[in-house]
Amino acid sequence: MAELAPARAEASALRVSAERGRSPLARALRRLLQNRSAQLGMSILAALVFVAVFADVIAPYAYDQQIRQPGLRRRSPPCIHVLGCDPSKPQLLMGLDSNFRDLFSRVVYGARLSLQIGFVTTGVAVVIGALLGAVAGYLGGWADALIMRAMDVLLAFPSLLLAIAIVSVLGTGLINTLIAVAIVSIPVYARVVRASVLSVKEMDYVLASRALGASDVRILFVRILPNALTPLVVVAALGIATAILDAAGLSFLGLGAQPPTPEWGLMLGEERNSVFNAPHLVFFPGAAIMLTVLGFNLLGDGLRDALDPRRRV
Amino acid sequence: MSTSASRLRVLSLLATAALALSACATTPTAAPQPPASEPTMPPPPAQAPTEAPTAAPAEPTAAPAAEVPTKVEAPDCNYGGSIKSIEAVDDYTVKITLCAPDPALPFKLAGDSFAILDSDYLNQTGGDSNAISNNPVGTGPYKLREWKRGEGLTFEAFSDYWGEKAKTPTVVLRWSKEAAQRLLELQSGNADGIANVGPEDFETVEKDPALQLVEISQPNIFYIGFNNTIPPFDDDRVRLAFAYGIDRERIVRDYYPRGSKVAISFVPDSFAVGASPNIPWHEYNPEKAKALLKEAGKENLEVTLSYRDVVRGYLPNPGAVAQEIQAQLKEIGVNVKIEVKESGAFLDSVTAGKEPFYLLGWGADYPDATNFLDYHFGPQNQQFGKPYDDIVAALREGASTADLAKRQAAYDKVNELLKKYVPMIPVAHGGVAYAYRADVEGAHVNPVSALVFAAMKVPRERFVFVQNAEPISLYCADESDGETFTACAQIFEPLLTFKIGTAELQPALAESYESNADLTEWTFKLRKGVKFHNGATFEARDVIATFAAMWDAANPNHKGRTGTFEYWTAYFGSFLNSK
Repeated sequence: MAELAPARAEASALRVSAERGRSPLARALRRLLQNRSAQLGMSILAALVFVAVFADVIAPYAYDQQIRQPGLRRRSPPCIHVLGCDPSKPQLLMGLDSNFRDLFSRVVYGARLSLQIGFVTTGVAVVIGALLGAVAGYLGGWADALIMRAMDVLLAFPSLLLAIAIVSVLGTGLINTLIAVAIVSIPVYARVVRASVLSVKEMDYVLASRALGASDVRILFVRILPNALTPLVVVAALGIATAILDAAGLSFLGLGAQPPTPEWGLMLGEERNSVFNAPHLVFFPGAAIMLTVLGFNLLGDGLRDALDPRRRV
Repeated sequence: MSTSASRLRVLSLLATAALALSACATTPTAAPQPPASEPTMPPPPAQAPTEAPTAAPAEPTAAPAAEVPTKVEAPDCNYGGSIKSIEAVDDYTVKITLCAPDPALPFKLAGDSFAILDSDYLNQTGGDSNAISNNPVGTGPYKLREWKRGEGLTFEAFSDYWGEKAKTPTVVLRWSKEAAQRLLELQSGNADGIANVGPEDFETVEKDPALQLVEISQPNIFYIGFNNTIPPFDDDRVRLAFAYGIDRERIVRDYYPRGSKVAISFVPDSFAVGASPNIPWHEYNPEKAKALLKEAGKENLEVTLSYRDVVRGYLPNPGAVAQEIQAQLKEIGVNVKIEVKESGAFLDSVTAGKEPFYLLGWGADYPDATNFLDYHFGPQNQQFGKPYDDIVAALREGASTADLAKRQAAYDKVNELLKKYVPMIPVAHGGVAYAYRADVEGAHVNPVSALVFAAMKVPRERFVFVQNAEPISLYCADESDGETFTACAQIFEPLLTFKIGTAELQPALAESYESNADLTEWTFKLRKGVKFHNGATFEARDVIATFAAMWDAANPNHKGRTGTFEYWTAYFGSFLNSK
């Protein structure tokens, strides 16, 4: 034992120095790439992004195109030629939906839509939430009280219920759904950023910057916010998953995207009576939602592990 | 606008004055004779305007609150309605005098909207739909034990029922708008019967030995409605273009269960008159549709199609059909935005003439063309916008005679005009199937009326039925929704009802009825020994009170839920004393 100890200490010292040699970002990225759940999450998301970007190429039909051929019934089950389906029939990877449309094409276009929904709503919510949180944390006092109590009010409602309330005021439709989901997710980001700002703003380097005469705006945006980003990134990654779920939930209830938009939640909602007599119609959109949410959740977990300061050596 | 308003005002003045006078008058003498224009009561109408201004239309309502008059009478036949008077000749005889002959009167009065309420009870509740729904008192085989809002209604057998007692002591009525859920409830044994089996599930039910499928071709119609006052549908060419642009055969073939038919006319061809097979609806012709839209300068049209996501016999697949129509119209260059509305709000909005383009349907109340055509295209109905005068005239012609050939000639004219104006596109007559557990005795579906739970027997304590939606209220005088009638029909009874499984009349609260030769005077002999759920005895005054509450806008009990009393106005025209 006694002889081994110095060697191990030396090795760990070497590793530490190797880590120190890189920027914090590179170190975080390396840890992220080594993280199992992040790897899985990123591969799922990479596939999704690929599908979304090249939807026009991947999807064999337009999402609202009816495939009408004699003998082809609506709600036909999947027909895959490789698996022994009659080659005289058109290839339908996921079958036909209730309106003679190719379910596979709709799910593919749905990926584009869902990712857009996730990124747009979360993006908007992060920007607004981060600003509110930063201002609240930095200014303190009555501004803090006002902003954060408002956020508490928003948080007091279950997110989906609040979104439903907002949509029923604004009217149904995809854009209004985006607005509702974005509003609902603002308080989470405001809280996270405010907490980080509070912990950072009394640090020596901030005080030093202030002593050098930097303005409040400069201190907040150049000195403080970059150091409060880490937790925000983690929460935002997880938040995208929630946003996609909320939007799908609204569409399922008929309050979100309107037909014939290929929104996964809407597709599920329309075919909810097919669970027993045409299960493929609910299985594939449901699986797509699940995979997407799983991808973002795994990535978020991985990010949290990679960026957690306590796990730094 | 101003002319019609002033005409209305004169009418209402006349009516109020006449009412005030008739209240002072002693018991009426012999019933009025058919000649419509001549009032039987002493006051000449000329006298009315001089004293009317002092009596504001609403005022006479407060005074005679508790009393039930033995006769309610219109001053003349110019008030816009078709009923002249309703009179209790004695305690068990009611006489209804009409302004014009109406062969369908017994059928009309067999509707659940015309169920009889106890007069004292009606006065206590003030005809308020909420009050009646909370504590409904009828004469039916079941009384309400409990209505857990959002969950279900529980009925228990009424021990003093006049007829054959209910075969199952307790009935539970629940609902689910999902066909899959209803079927699951039936399969799992939680329900003994379900309404409207999903079109994809007919086979599943047939193959299951524990279940039975009861199919019926209900006389119904699914139509795509327009409102001719809301752009772009105020342009006749746009509506006609839509008629050419929608392939109805494709809709019926792909989205309707077996037993369904493409509609030739608005009226099902199973009726004696009303359908015109020699005047078929516009053939599908997208090129013509495009040309018409171009001619109207309405290319790249954007419209909103509204519907309620409620399964009915006439529309088993609302969502899929709406999207099919959306897809078909896209082919003629029309972009359709689909809007799903809440059922009650949707119906109210359609009735008020606020929906430009919508999916709706109709199930028959009685097997006659008047029930389809007069309700929809009569002068009262605003759902298609402004009524067409020539259609209204042709309808009058068709309803005023019992001669089938003459009636058919009039309805041929109606169908020709409907085809010309396209206030709606008749699409399908839907086939319907209900499912029951195999051990349910007396399982049935009625073509025009609500289910009779009292006739169904299960070897269990409770009979559980799952329909599509929750009843809106239990005062059906002011309702028009089939799901609501299912609940009302167990508790309340009209003078006549329909035999189970048929569209034939049978006596209920009236034992018999007769009319004079020209079908304007109808006498109903009431059943004796009928008790209401509150113990009161059924008498003629209950009939008068019930009908007066619907008919007379100045009656203190003329309240209901919305106050529209749709069936009354559809069948009998304007209210008495309406403003």
